[in-house]
Amino acid sequence: MRRILIVDDERHLRLLYRRELEDDGYQVVEAANAEEGIRAFEQQRPDLIVMDIRMPGMNGLEAMARILDKDRRVPIVLNTAFDSYRDDFTSWAADAYVTKGPDTEELRRTVRKLLEEREHLGPGEL
Amino acid sequence: MERSASRNAALHPDTLKTVLAFVLAGGKGERLYPLTKDRSKPAVPFGGTYRIIDFTLSNCVNSGLKRICVLTQYKAHSLMRHVKEGWHLFASELGEFIYTIPPQLRVGSTWYLGTADAIYQNVYTLEEERPEHTLILSGDHIYRMDYRDMFAEHLAREADVTIAVLEVPAREASRFGVLELGPNREVIGFREKPQDLDPAGPSVVANMGVYLFRTDVLVQSVCRDARRDDTHHDFGHDVLPGLVRAGARVQAHVFRGAGASPTPFWMDIGTLDAYFDASMDLISVSPQFTLYDRVWPIRSAAIQAPPAKFVFAGGEKGRIGEAHDSLVSPGCIVSGGHVERSILGPGCRINSWSVVEDAILMDGVEVGRHAVVKRAIIDKGVRIPPGFQVGVDPEADRRRFTVTERGLVAIPKGENLEGLA
Repeated sequence: MRRILIVDDERHLRLLYRRELEDDGYQVVEAANAEEGIRAFEQQRPDLIVMDIRMPGMNGLEAMARILDKDRRVPIVLNTAFDSYRDDFTSWAADAYVTKGPDTEELRRTVRKLLEEREHLGPGEL
Repeated sequence: MERSASRNAALHPDTLKTVLAFVLAGGKGERLYPLTKDRSKPAVPFGGTYRIIDFTLSNCVNSGLKRICVLTQYKAHSLMRHVKEGWHLFASELGEFIYTIPPQLRVGSTWYLGTADAIYQNVYTLEEERPEHTLILSGDHIYRMDYRDMFAEHLAREADVTIAVLEVPAREASRFGVLELGPNREVIGFREKPQDLDPAGPSVVANMGVYLFRTDVLVQSVCRDARRDDTHHDFGHDVLPGLVRAGARVQAHVFRGAGASPTPFWMDIGTLDAYFDASMDLISVSPQFTLYDRVWPIRSAAIQAPPAKFVFAGGEKGRIGEAHDSLVSPGCIVSGGHVERSILGPGCRINSWSVVEDAILMDGVEVGRHAVVKRAIIDKGVRIPPGFQVGVDPEADRRRFTVTERGLVAIPKGENLEGLA
């Protein structure tokens, strides 16, 4: 089963994403802030990460850079309420950028698409 | 991911205000050892009073490009000090700056993996500065170039990337990234150091390692490259060929040189022998690369030193202080010694009855009485004891020092020769 790490400081959002992604057949791991997210990444080795940007303490962009420094291949979806980070160069290493909306449809579609793409790629291809 | 960060510039193409330069200055210069024992290649002294990086930085300033980030890496101390002492001539209130940036360990925990990785690891600098275009330069090269010409062409052709190129004979092609161009100088193919070209064949178009990117294209491509593990994380090897394959507009700009009488002279001083040749070119009557061009001056750290002084005019037999076909830097005293076809860095002292021929002496070298120094590169502060001989007995030199293929002797900074005398 594919494992997804959700890093988000809002508990009810983590709960929502967990339910929906579990419905889609994924195993879900949660972290409530960036530091916890980095630790969870190291311990759980997820197949994909859904990363919030604005969180207390370290933000999601820096957490992404640190995670990519350990594993440059793990797919990362930035999932934020703010559209403004889309133009921030430090967000461009992400595989996708999703703006939090009224439903989780875009996030679920993006997760599915990235994981499917991954399955069809050979080593080193992106 | 398609994201656009382009903002339209209404500026004249002659002004480089929308351009930020990254100077890649991390070169280890292993084949310049022992000159790179304690310093990176861009910090190696050259031409008496210069360092190799001064040529690229002078090109920036002469082109009016005054937003510069020097990315350092190994043994950066000497380079950082030089930039601080020699290049703090920017007006921050006009938005001008020169920063030396060591590898930012806050993102990557390793040294830069390649040229593209160096930019990837400094993406946050691009985010802070938001230049429309980014010029990637190497701190290792000797040349005169007006980046405004390249920028104007880059804008006119609406290129995503423009690569500066020069024509080189086919016999030298194996040292370069070779480009294949279409009818409008668009890049259609890359070959990295081709070994199979007929040396007598037509000249080829070589990549100089000078790249002008639309910043959004640069960030996209280095981010994409950073996510791969099957690349060298290098512009010439991976990123640029990838952009061409992906259909980006990659253009070539033919390097012409700059200054009073522009010549397309460009040199990467890769080895001690090449370093020696480039130095000897400087002292020839009509060098390929002149230091005396007032239209396109090369600047460096100012030296607080008195004029060079020559004493003893031959009253005693053979005791004549003289230098011919040479560059003699401020602060030198040629005191009764003979200097020919040589470069003396600042503050050297050449004592009586000594002979210095075909040699490069860096700052503060002292040559003792009756000593002989021939075909040698002597690094900073070395004292040649009285009567000592360098470059006379090849056997003895090989036992004591680095000697190149062509028999040049190189003595590193701080070497104590007293015990060897």
